[in-house]
Amino acid sequence: MKPGTKLKSAVCDTEVMVILGADVAIECGGAPMALERPATGGEPDPSFAAGSLMGKRYVDEAGTVELLCVKPGKGSLSIGGVALRTKDAKALPSSD
Amino acid sequence: MTQVMKGIRVLEVAQMTFVPAAGAILADWGADVIKIEHPVRGDTQRGFINMGGVKVNPKRSPFVEHPNRGKRSVGVDISKPEGMEVIYELAKTADVFLTNYLPKQRQKMKFDIEHIRAVNPNIIYARGSAYGDKGPERDFGGFDGTAFWNRSGIATAMTPREMVGTLSQGIPAFGDSIGGMNIAGGISAALFHRERTGEALELDVSLLSTAWWAAGTSIDMGIDCGEVSRNRMPTSGGNPGNPFMGNYTTSDGGIINLCTLTPGPHIRNVFQHLGLPEAADDPRFSTAEALMKNWEPASELINAQFARKPFDYWREHLKTMSGQWAPVLDLMQIAEDEQALANDMLFEVEASDGGEPIKLVRGPIQFNHEPVKTTRAPEASEHTEIVLMEMGMDWDRIESLKKVGAIA
Repeated sequence: MKPGTKLKSAVCDTEVMVILGADVAIECGGAPMALERPATGGEPDPSFAAGSLMGKRYVDEAGTVELLCVKPGKGSLSIGGVALRTKDAKALPSSD
Repeated sequence: MTQVMKGIRVLEVAQMTFVPAAGAILADWGADVIKIEHPVRGDTQRGFINMGGVKVNPKRSPFVEHPNRGKRSVGVDISKPEGMEVIYELAKTADVFLTNYLPKQRQKMKFDIEHIRAVNPNIIYARGSAYGDKGPERDFGGFDGTAFWNRSGIATAMTPREMVGTLSQGIPAFGDSIGGMNIAGGISAALFHRERTGEALELDVSLLSTAWWAAGTSIDMGIDCGEVSRNRMPTSGGNPGNPFMGNYTTSDGGIINLCTLTPGPHIRNVFQHLGLPEAADDPRFSTAEALMKNWEPASELINAQFARKPFDYWREHLKTMSGQWAPVLDLMQIAEDEQALANDMLFEVEASDGGEPIKLVRGPIQFNHEPVKTTRAPEASEHTEIVLMEMGMDWDRIESLKKVGAIA
């Protein structure tokens, strides 16, 4: 894997674009992601089935990997069994 | 809905509601609207935790969805020269540049009209401001609460003399949403002009000009007559001079607004609907002149009638009345109003938190009777790489821009 490439889930519809990071194995629904979706898929592992959301960026705690979800699915993203978290805007608190 | 703006690209360097709402209208109409957001914080609008005193969920915020649905978000730090270079490259591909940054900021960061026109001479440059792009206060920022509502004279006109202080705007982004539509209208006309003549215009809409226009009849009247109308204290009963005008309270505390400005042709029909058929033959009320002169006793009769039956009765019963009237609803009731829904006033977008779809109000204009079909507001910086690669930027450049924090 390298930045700019797209990875597909083996177990659901999820597709991500790699934004940051190289040569790391990304999993979706507990199964490794690849450039092409395998013909026989299977179901997401229940412990990685929280889903991926369109347009969200997913990062690891160390900040070495960033993925952009370009197609959502039932499986959730992880690296080495550790769930990735979403990267959200750090908005300035405002009140109308 | 017919995509009347299909093929038009808008580059939006703006925040909050007023100017982004113009981008939202154009996106509803099919334009490709690229919203530039701060790479870390996003649009300031994303930080709202309260809206008019009501707590909002920032992940499902109407403050974000209403003015930003249908757009793509690109994270660029416009305070960095490398970031501004990206803005110039995007501006080359755009038909419209849309901004609400203040003149001094546009100059400092170099995206004022001369900078943008230097890279794209055919771009329409649209500015939204608080008080206008000319005059001593052109560099003074504002919100609809300041420029549209208070500075404009509207707050004073809305507030009865008997009250201490002035009424506040009451509806968040009220002036912003009206003003955003004004900008979208101006951009549409500028695109039409460019199509016919080849000339690219610059255009300005301010929150104050939005208020001036909305209050135009009163302002003109004040100049000519030396006084302007002002809200009266709410009561149940007819307006002075016309008992078929005014708010009447029903037996259960609901309110029916009669608004029959020209009562003459409706006298018999209105009195019949109000259960007062004999009043139409009463010489005090049987002609327009007599009714207007004797508005007080007529108002008393009508008031007593409305107090006899509940709101739902009157709402149904008055449907066949020839004179103009309306039930007084609130903004929760209107979301379920049959007439509003029949006119596609609401549409749904998927929620970015994966929850239930979010219902949004459409813009005021409908083409060919067709409902709006669009997408949710983008996440901050959701489309940075996609838009930049589409523009032909290679990954190495994207990475190096990220390293210096110019994009995200």
